Amino acid sequence: MKPFTFFTPNDSDEAVRLLDQYSPGARIIAGGQTLLLAMKTRTERPAVLVSLAGISNLSGAATDVSGQLVVGATTTYAALTHAVFSGWHREISVMAGNLADRPVRTMGTIGGALCSGDPCFDMPTLVMGVGAQIETLSPAGVRTLTPEEFFGVGGGITIASNEILTSIRFPSADVFTAVAFEKFRQRTFDTAVVSALCATRIDTDGAVVEMRLTIGAATPTPTRAINSARELIGRPAADIDPVAVAVAVAHEVLGEPGTDSELVQYQRELIKALTRKALSRALTTSRS
Amino acid sequence: MTQAPPHKTSTQSAGTSQQKLVGQSVPRKEDLALLTGTARYIDDIKLPGMLYAKILRSDVAHARLNSIDMTAARQMPGVIDVLCGADLVGKVKPWGDMMQDLLVGDHTPFAVNKVLYEGQELAAVVAETKYQALDALEVIGVELEELPVLVDPEEAIAPGAQLIQEGISYEFGEGNIFDRYRVRIGDIDEAEAEADVIVRQRFTTNRQAGAALDPHGCIASYDSFTGELTVYSSTQSIFMVRDVLADVLQIARNKVRVIVPEVGAGFGSKAQIFPYEVIASIFSMRLGRPVHLVLGRKEIFQSGTARTGQVRYAELMCKRDGTITGYRDYIIHNCGAMSVWGNQVLHIGTNVGMLPYPIPNIRIDGDIIHTNTAPAGALRGFGIPQTLWAKEQLVDMAAREIGMDPLAFRSKNVVRPQTFPFVTPMGQIIDSTSVYECLQKSAEAIGWADKKANPRPYEGVGLAVSMKYTSCRHPSFDTDQSAIRLKLETDGTVTIYSSDVSHGQSHATMLAQIVADGLGVGFEKITLAQPDSLNSPFGLGTFASRGAAVLGTACRMATERLRERVLTIAAHVLEANIEDLDIGNDRVYIKGLPDSGLYLEILASFAAYRTHQLPPGFEPTMEAIATYDTPTEREGSDGSGNLSVTYSAAAHAAHVRVDPETGLVRVVDYTMAHDTGVVINPMVVAGQHQGGFLMGLGMVLGEDYIYDDKGRLTNASFKTYLAPTATDIPELNKMFEIPAPSLTIPGGQKGAGESGTGPVPAAVGNAVFDATGVRFTSLPITPQKMLLALREKERQGVEAFRFPDDMPNFGGPRTHAEWPKPNVADVVDFDWDNFDDENGDDSL
Repeated sequence: MKPFTFFTPNDSDEAVRLLDQYSPGARIIAGGQTLLLAMKTRTERPAVLVSLAGISNLSGAATDVSGQLVVGATTTYAALTHAVFSGWHREISVMAGNLADRPVRTMGTIGGALCSGDPCFDMPTLVMGVGAQIETLSPAGVRTLTPEEFFGVGGGITIASNEILTSIRFPSADVFTAVAFEKFRQRTFDTAVVSALCATRIDTDGAVVEMRLTIGAATPTPTRAINSARELIGRPAADIDPVAVAVAVAHEVLGEPGTDSELVQYQRELIKALTRKALSRALTTSRS
Repeated sequence: MTQAPPHKTSTQSAGTSQQKLVGQSVPRKEDLALLTGTARYIDDIKLPGMLYAKILRSDVAHARLNSIDMTAARQMPGVIDVLCGADLVGKVKPWGDMMQDLLVGDHTPFAVNKVLYEGQELAAVVAETKYQALDALEVIGVELEELPVLVDPEEAIAPGAQLIQEGISYEFGEGNIFDRYRVRIGDIDEAEAEADVIVRQRFTTNRQAGAALDPHGCIASYDSFTGELTVYSSTQSIFMVRDVLADVLQIARNKVRVIVPEVGAGFGSKAQIFPYEVIASIFSMRLGRPVHLVLGRKEIFQSGTARTGQVRYAELMCKRDGTITGYRDYIIHNCGAMSVWGNQVLHIGTNVGMLPYPIPNIRIDGDIIHTNTAPAGALRGFGIPQTLWAKEQLVDMAAREIGMDPLAFRSKNVVRPQTFPFVTPMGQIIDSTSVYECLQKSAEAIGWADKKANPRPYEGVGLAVSMKYTSCRHPSFDTDQSAIRLKLETDGTVTIYSSDVSHGQSHATMLAQIVADGLGVGFEKITLAQPDSLNSPFGLGTFASRGAAVLGTACRMATERLRERVLTIAAHVLEANIEDLDIGNDRVYIKGLPDSGLYLEILASFAAYRTHQLPPGFEPTMEAIATYDTPTEREGSDGSGNLSVTYSAAAHAAHVRVDPETGLVRVVDYTMAHDTGVVINPMVVAGQHQGGFLMGLGMVLGEDYIYDDKGRLTNASFKTYLAPTATDIPELNKMFEIPAPSLTIPGGQKGAGESGTGPVPAAVGNAVFDATGVRFTSLPITPQKMLLALREKERQGVEAFRFPDDMPNFGGPRTHAEWPKPNVADVVDFDWDNFDDENGDDSL
């Protein structure tokens, strides 16, 4: 680790001001579960750390008047795990409680996971998968970004060095009848090798009204299989063959099989398996 | 070798009123400090005026080293001193062997002209703080000229391959083969001609890290006034460090003192001297101040020793009735860029790895080689997991070819003599074993018959059996000794001195159990002193599963001697005959009167403060020392010999479930039946077996050194190095001990520490084949490889499939006809046993 100056601002505006003042050598630190490890090995060497720990309104989850679930950027995995959510929002709790290990879940935050830009983390797949909106603050003011805008095309994130992710705005509970996330990792504490998320809404007649299929970890940013999902709109959920859809998703995300490396061949197989599982579960949950 | 006291020694017969501790799960003396976080490891030691050193390591794997510029580093804040290879040429002696005879001087503190592997030491800085030292490393200028990198062991010995170690004249001339190993038992050609079935397969094994959580490191503290160099080191052997260090620095061995604090495991990876110990010592001697040098995890992955990797072209010959008649193997044994222990691993691991089958005809050729990869060395199991990975899978392949149940096949072949000791064709003297019973027990406990009769999709069971050596006479040094010094203190407490470092083996508990039984002294009154070369008796160290049997025997002998002294004083004071006395409850008493007698405290005080109470002429020392050197043999030139004092049997059975969608292999149940002889502390031994299993599990399902084509280790952290964790292991509630007490070791003990590791990869490999029809010939079996194998097997529509041999992109030899032939140049090894013979023994 290299020496750094540590600031603990009391509100977001001050945090942004500090970040702007010390940019580009300044970094935001929230739970520190990614950044601290990188600092220990000197792969990251910020001269200034601006801690969000003292900013109380960046933490916590609440439903606003429109029914959207607003989660503060410094809300920890542990807090999300123990939050009482309804409808598909419960899947957020399940996901937050089933990643990394207990110390990481206690300290790590959803905003930190998104800003790390690591596609193997689950939170980017969640945000992309359900189309959550990302709110930021910078000297230029407040912005609201779609996941596609937030994540860079070739990996990483797009927000400026003096910009803070303040909250994540998840669609209301009635937007989807079910959200199902599936992932594979070799050891319980590992990040995902591949993950898949299905967010869907089935109407009372059993027809698919909304369908989002998203793959994480296999590409530099989470990738939506837009065409494969669109094919399913309007179809009776009972008629959908999850196996066939999963094959289509794998090809849409990774391209048609060619001279794939062994890793890509494996990712393709995992996308098929995990998409099938996520889709099946989402459809089953929606119908029950 | 030393004459040990007779079997069933009288140290077993202390006071009848006192319950014997040997055989009981006595709670460990070690645990309070470990569980409360008060145990002190190397990084916890802080000496007054201590400085911090850090090492600059190469980030390329193979290069000419043109120059190192330390000018800027020297000017950095807090920097006190800097060093690189050029500074030390001609000032320190290169090293290469374990203790005494520096046969191959290929180890130096820093690379001098050439870098041989990523992570090799280039330079070092010592500063007031570790951060200042790290800062200074960043401004060292290094000029390198990269060379072609050899990661693959077979490419490293191909004709015209880039030479790795230059300027060293090996027995076989220049090249990347630095040693050879061969076994010639019986007549393999005849066995081949007369065999009904021969199974042949190429196998490869992985590199595995020691992964001890306590990092490698040391603190060196030189006293300029006395000229004494004290080195605190996280090592498994204080005398290996002391003797080599003194030799490297060319100072007297009584001026080097090695002390060991708590060691948080080693598994073989700390059983030698390392460059950091030399570097810290030189800094401290130059500056007259203590120097701290503890390695980071990445450095340990790169430069701490890892398991040797092997390529094996293995063949098993048998009769139609299942009798094994021959084994032939050509082994390419990858020791990394430099290795102290690597060649020994092949010798011992292959010799003992032939067990538990008394195979009459064996021919093995091994090339022991260098690659541009991390130094290899000892690691739990010491070559036996590698040998079993090949041999125990061949056994299943042979059974399948014959149409025999693998359990029946093994039952027919495991050594099961009418009388003991039994000498195998390879020369191993089996003094006792219950391997047959262990095999039946582990198979029964896994539900073998039922699971074979009612197979479920993607589930399977597999077996593997082994006999692990207990201690060993290594080819490179003709010794196998451990020692104990016991001291009855003036208050009746007892101090044990030993140089064999306990780092998870529970020496403080296990030795106290032996002493308590023999001296009748309370368990709580016995203390094990910290290993310290200044006052510990000479012993080899803690490795090779030698603690309970070898150190334990020395402890028994010392206890016997001290008991004799105590009884002599007591007999004089009590005016009784020694034969009428007994010892127990902290006192010596007339037999039958255990509540009377003289306290040990009183007797000890006579020797210290009231010497007129002593028998006339009695030398008033209350210390006893004993050294036990096992009656093991040196390896013969044909590879035969009884290298181990006794043999611990292990029979393992695995039940696996394979996820056909993700390729994840789960060991859902696992049974282990062991023969550990007379167990001193069952809880400790069970813990050793569980830990041993976990290391085997890591070897078969995840752990590996993954190098890119530039020889850079891509997974040098616990985040990316897939060591198993608690959630990856089954319950392990089916563990059995079927003791066959050693007839050689007086207390009947056998080694415990490594029996749990050897059979695991093969047992899991066999179970994976049973579950999927995929025979893995390379390690580890990762989910990715498993799934690709399943898909390719489905595509080809075959019943049995080898991975990676039957994959379309496999570049190695697929059939026996394509196998490389071993180099059997008629080279005569120097024969130490018969060097008076004019010609030695050159028969092949």
